[in-house]
Amino acid sequence: MNQELLQKLSECVEFGKINLASPYPPQMKGLPGADEITKEALEAGVTPTEILNDALITAMNKVGQKFSENKIFVPQMLLSAKAMGASMIHLKPYFANGSVKRKGVFILGTVFGDLHDIGKNLFGMMVEGAGWEVIDLGIDVKTDKFVDAIQQNPTAVVGISALLTTTMIHMKPVIDAIKIAVPQTKIIVGGAPLSAEFALSIGADAYGKNPQEGIQWLDSLAS
Amino acid sequence: MQNWIDTILNSEKRMALPFMTHPGIESIGKCVRDAVTDGEVHYRAIKAVSEQFETTACTVIMDLTVEAEAFGAKIKLPENEVPTVLGRLVADAPSIEALNVPGLDKGRVPAYLLASKLAAENIKDKPIFSGCIGPYSLAGRLYDMSEIMVAIYIEPESIQLLLSKCTEFLIKYCKALKATGTQGVIVAEPAAGLLSGDDCMTYSSIYVKQIVDAVQDESFTVILHNCGNTGQCTDAMLASGANALHFGNAIDMEHVLKQCPNDVVIMGNLNPVGVFKQGSVDSVKLETKHLLQKTAGYKNFVISSGCDLPPFVPEANIRAFLETVEKYNFQ
Repeated sequence: MNQELLQKLSECVEFGKINLASPYPPQMKGLPGADEITKEALEAGVTPTEILNDALITAMNKVGQKFSENKIFVPQMLLSAKAMGASMIHLKPYFANGSVKRKGVFILGTVFGDLHDIGKNLFGMMVEGAGWEVIDLGIDVKTDKFVDAIQQNPTAVVGISALLTTTMIHMKPVIDAIKIAVPQTKIIVGGAPLSAEFALSIGADAYGKNPQEGIQWLDSLAS
Repeated sequence: MQNWIDTILNSEKRMALPFMTHPGIESIGKCVRDAVTDGEVHYRAIKAVSEQFETTACTVIMDLTVEAEAFGAKIKLPENEVPTVLGRLVADAPSIEALNVPGLDKGRVPAYLLASKLAAENIKDKPIFSGCIGPYSLAGRLYDMSEIMVAIYIEPESIQLLLSKCTEFLIKYCKALKATGTQGVIVAEPAAGLLSGDDCMTYSSIYVKQIVDAVQDESFTVILHNCGNTGQCTDAMLASGANALHFGNAIDMEHVLKQCPNDVVIMGNLNPVGVFKQGSVDSVKLETKHLLQKTAGYKNFVISSGCDLPPFVPEANIRAFLETVEKYNFQ
């Protein structure tokens, strides 16, 4: 019974079935989604840790893999992330009381001067789905805000995003300030105009070419 | 002026057309904000590019906020970046239904029409291409780019209504751009490149085709630009009927050229940032030569940047690109 619920939940997340009302995907129309199945699973005695590890993370791994292989695209990935979010709402109390452990804290934001967020949002949702706690600082994030966040969460990993060539140059001063505030902080950068060479040149620890690679790097830090 | 498509297809030489206006803005001592708000400054930037560089044609600024602003979206106008849309204008079916299709007197539309008109009137030695956003990208600007990606599955009827309104405006705008005397329009549809091929067809190409059908003829070419396409959208781009397709650096041009018929002009795709802006003169020459060699067998290919060149690209890199093409043609 429990395994069946976990399997159903995993499928809801993999295929982007958010809740009963959602018409997507067409083959699951009228069926319960991640929202209802998570509730049912908790009531049936499935532990939050099992839900996180055996359904959500498993499903989002598949989603990330399919995305990196061009088998699905941004809309499908966002729908999966939304389905995962609908499930996560039921797990929040267990995260808050410490009964479910996550891999770590990931602080994320688009660098100051830049208002673009689709890449950041997508990556943030995928990271959350991979079992991390995500603190999303939003767009146009000033250096001080990154520094405050890392000082409050000194073991966190930081992700900085930029879409513009005119704003990617703002990443280095942010990285410098974070490394001065909490020197051991690991930082990953991403965004369309960036490259691995650029990431290295500004002192970042990693370059997220795509969500899957970024998550693999994050998970390597947690292991 | 001879039909631009025929010129390309009949030429023995490889034509070069990087999308660029920022070098012109910089050379006349203005900032991006001046150029995107003042049609005369914009024109002078285009004119400066046409005089400084031996390119096949000239293009206007790729500013993907003009049309959203005309609909009523708020924008941010930084000094030296292209503007950005702030927030979302519509969020649900009622707000989409209430959305009015604006006239061409709204926002900065008159300034952009003026830039095209002045360029067409005063630059006679090469074609001028106007520009506008594509319907799906415009709808994303109005609805929120992340949200529309989900809404095409959750609320498809509402998004199709929004796309119809966007297309109605874009047809009106493109007809006005055509009336300025330019030789074509670059329809920039980058957001459609994030979709699957089927979704690109349903939510972009069907609407782009309406624009193509309304304005494209012997004297006016539609260049459909989709720099997000990694290969899955090429068939959908072809289905738009645009006479020219422009690709970003995420795609293999050789593969695209094999896939596309030889009477469609195919353009692309040197990385505007990694090659043009951040590369050295030597690396620009190497990358340009490599792309020219890979695409040598295709008369319908125009070598270009994969997207609009960003501000402050070294002039030496642009010259290195053009000189490499010239040297290749001479050989």
